[in-house]
Amino acid sequence: MQGLDARLSLAGVSRREFLAFCGAAATALGLGISGAPAVADALQRGPRLTPAIWLNLGSCTGCTESLAQSGTPDIATIVLDMLSLDYMETLGAAAGTQAESALDDTLRRGGHLAIVEGAVMTGEAGNTLRIAGTTGDALLERVCRDAALVIAVGSCAADGGWVRARPNPAGATGVLQHLPQLEPRLVNLPTCPVNPEWVVAVLSGHLLGLPLPPLDDLRRPLTFFGQTIHDNCPRRGHFANGEFVERFGSLEESLGWCLYDMGCKGPVTRTDCPRVRWNRGVSWCVESGSPCIGCGSPDWVDAGAPFLSRTNAVRPGIAGLRPEVAGEVVAAGAAGAFAIWGVVETARGRLRDTMDSGETDRTDHEEPSGTLKNG
Amino acid sequence: MARVAIDPITRIEGHLRVEIEVDSGVVKDAWVSGGLYRGMETVLQGRAPADAFYIAQRICGVCPISHGHASTMGSEAALGIKIPNNARIVRNIIEGAEFLHSHVLWFYTLTALDYVDVVSALSANIADTYALAEKAGTTTADFGAIQKRLAGFVKGGQLSIFTNGYWGHPAMKLPAELNLIAVAHYLEALQIQAQAAEIIAIMGGKFPHFMTSIPGGTSWVASEQRLADVLFRWQGVSDFITNTMIPDTLAIAPFYLEAAGYGKGVGNFLAWGVFDDVSMDPKKRVMPRGALTGLTPFDPKPEEVTEFIKHSWYDSGDNLNPAKGETKADFTTYDLNGKYSWVKAPRLNGKPMEVGPLARMLVAYVDGVAPVKALVDGALGALSKAAGKKLPPTVLVSLLGRVAARNLEAKVIADAMGGWIGEMVAAVKGGDSKYFVEATQSDGQGAGLWEAPRGALGHWVNVSGGKIANYQVVTPSTWDCSPRDDAGVRGPMEEALVGTPIADPTKPLEALRIVHSFDP
Ligand code: SF4
Ligand code: SF4
Repeated sequence: MQGLDARLSLAGVSRREFLAFCGAAATALGLGISGAPAVADALQRGPRLTPAIWLNLGSCTGCTESLAQSGTPDIATIVLDMLSLDYMETLGAAAGTQAESALDDTLRRGGHLAIVEGAVMTGEAGNTLRIAGTTGDALLERVCRDAALVIAVGSCAADGGWVRARPNPAGATGVLQHLPQLEPRLVNLPTCPVNPEWVVAVLSGHLLGLPLPPLDDLRRPLTFFGQTIHDNCPRRGHFANGEFVERFGSLEESLGWCLYDMGCKGPVTRTDCPRVRWNRGVSWCVESGSPCIGCGSPDWVDAGAPFLSRTNAVRPGIAGLRPEVAGEVVAAGAAGAFAIWGVVETARGRLRDTMDSGETDRTDHEEPSGTLKNG
Repeated sequence: MARVAIDPITRIEGHLRVEIEVDSGVVKDAWVSGGLYRGMETVLQGRAPADAFYIAQRICGVCPISHGHASTMGSEAALGIKIPNNARIVRNIIEGAEFLHSHVLWFYTLTALDYVDVVSALSANIADTYALAEKAGTTTADFGAIQKRLAGFVKGGQLSIFTNGYWGHPAMKLPAELNLIAVAHYLEALQIQAQAAEIIAIMGGKFPHFMTSIPGGTSWVASEQRLADVLFRWQGVSDFITNTMIPDTLAIAPFYLEAAGYGKGVGNFLAWGVFDDVSMDPKKRVMPRGALTGLTPFDPKPEEVTEFIKHSWYDSGDNLNPAKGETKADFTTYDLNGKYSWVKAPRLNGKPMEVGPLARMLVAYVDGVAPVKALVDGALGALSKAAGKKLPPTVLVSLLGRVAARNLEAKVIADAMGGWIGEMVAAVKGGDSKYFVEATQSDGQGAGLWEAPRGALGHWVNVSGGKIANYQVVTPSTWDCSPRDDAGVRGPMEEALVGTPIADPTKPLEALRIVHSFDP
């Protein structure tokens, strides 16, 4: 290897862009911007790149696609400069026995990262996913056994995602549910697909030799999953004013009013989507006029659908409230109900079939995130 | 006689296994096996039509826009919804951006490594590389710097995604200089695909998986500012396709002219059509609806589609139209004489149909669609010159034609997209503010027959009491990667593999080319 500079310019990345990335990564890792030199240093130090294996299980390849939409560093930098991605079905030049021998070599050497995309498919004795003459779950076990770190990217890897939605015809589940022994060295990064900026931050932390970032009890980094979307939503002011979109494509929509009444799951979804945004920051779901469908929540399809369902009967103005305070009243008045909902769900061990946005609003005030764990 | 299994097939979306029988350096028989079953159709039962839009697009992370649109169109057909004109334009632009994203990604990132020897680029002469780029009319880059850095990368011994590639393979034919040009454009293409995806993110919230094309129209409201953001990105992508991707295609093709001699496939083509004009008539779409046997056109009837399962791991009705289709998984064992795939075998009037850009371009060409005709004739002229003889349109029914068709189509769509952006700007300036209509009924049956970048796509939706009573999807890869049907007739990719020359059965690169040409 001829040093980072060479790799950077091969990837078409300037040193300045690289340093900008280091600053962003340091901030994301909680080191503050003053940590940037340490990040840069660590990324340049190693004589060898960290080997990594990217496994596609029961996936749509959307998380790989999403990684390709990463900003700084871009995909070329990630796969050529940060890591040696020795096995990756979507981008790898090698196929068949050529690919398998690359996988074998990497596993033999050990010390690799395992990045897993897609649900673990257990249906039909694992044969709902067959790769190279074996089942996907067998391959997963082999790849994760000696991995230094396992990153479950996207909701499907985190808990089965949409694939395990009722009635879960193919026996889908998440990596951690399937291999609980991985817990100490596993990080979950849900949303559908994964946001690439989180992947890059977690990778950087690992390459820096840092301990895992603080995680919630679903193994999600608190930096990205510690607050609800509603907490950071630019439309929150309209929520407070009781200014709601009532119909798609309406005047209210063009004014950027709150999508709460359209079924927005922002109040119960703990991700930093409004801040990190998507596709190199150009937009995100609510900005496009759609309510959040909560794709980063546990069991997101069955918990969130019907996605466009209306809220509770409690509506701004109905009780004679002034619109500007109505929104906050809706939020506050419901707090107790949410706590009860949480307890009930803990008892059942899974989320309820449909999540009512009217109740979910209370997470702002009492957030029993620990009760959302999947059974 | 050698039996070769390629598993995993890489540089595709999904999980695929291909087995070939090679005799005297030629493929004599082939079997294509899909390795994944997730059960989307079953998951959708009993849900709201709008939920199907959000969920069904997650079938494919490379073409979620197409699935989202086919799902929404299926629901709209079932519920009798006619969308506002603005929604049609918005959907066209989003869909077009996905096609461009997908085609660029496919050519440079997925299939190029079958033809371009990355390691050979190290021995390119830099001055000759510039001369060659100029002669080919393609864009240049800092070739010297790229080569130097490539050398460092290779010397480091960790090739990352290039590990164990087919470098030095006898079927690699490009001169070192052209390999270096392609490596430079491989890196540039990674930026361009992201730029195309940003158009989707602006109008759809994010990519992959978007938010806005719900049944009834769109939740995205256009503004001049946002359209300027779209226009700017479209220009960048469009420039790349016109000035880099098309010239690269025409520069590489002459070195692989023998690829015009095999990889023909079944010779039947189906396109449901994509990109509506204001008439909303599928036959007037920018890529129109149609079907061909050879180059003879006929009208494809959706009710003549049936799916066979004799060789697929399902235990449900055989030979059913998707409107009445069933999907019940039942893995037995991998047996090439029995069941060997998770993919069903769809047939139109009993015949296997190839779908994809080649099908769309041939249908449009035979239909006389002007921009398609001009581009195809131009490309045929250039190839005829390289071959030293006049090549007829039938030469396109081949590996070479399938690759070229996708890249030429990118140009057709890039040009059309400029028109849609113009239409949208005019609508905003003219004060048309209608983007959405509510459904007025809650029962009905319909189908969203549309195209993904990789081919004809159908979502059959049956709604009862506002809930989905039945849902069936026939994806492009179901058509192209189909196993044998009940009569033992091979699917299009299986058939295209037969006759392919294989220089080294331990490294069956040429078979990968055939597989990738379908962009599964
Ligand atoms: S309900 Fe949704 S759109 Fe409204 S403020 Fe909260 S997160 Fe934003
Ligand atoms: S805003 Fe909501 S729907 Fe959009 S990516 Fe974030 S969690 Fe998913």
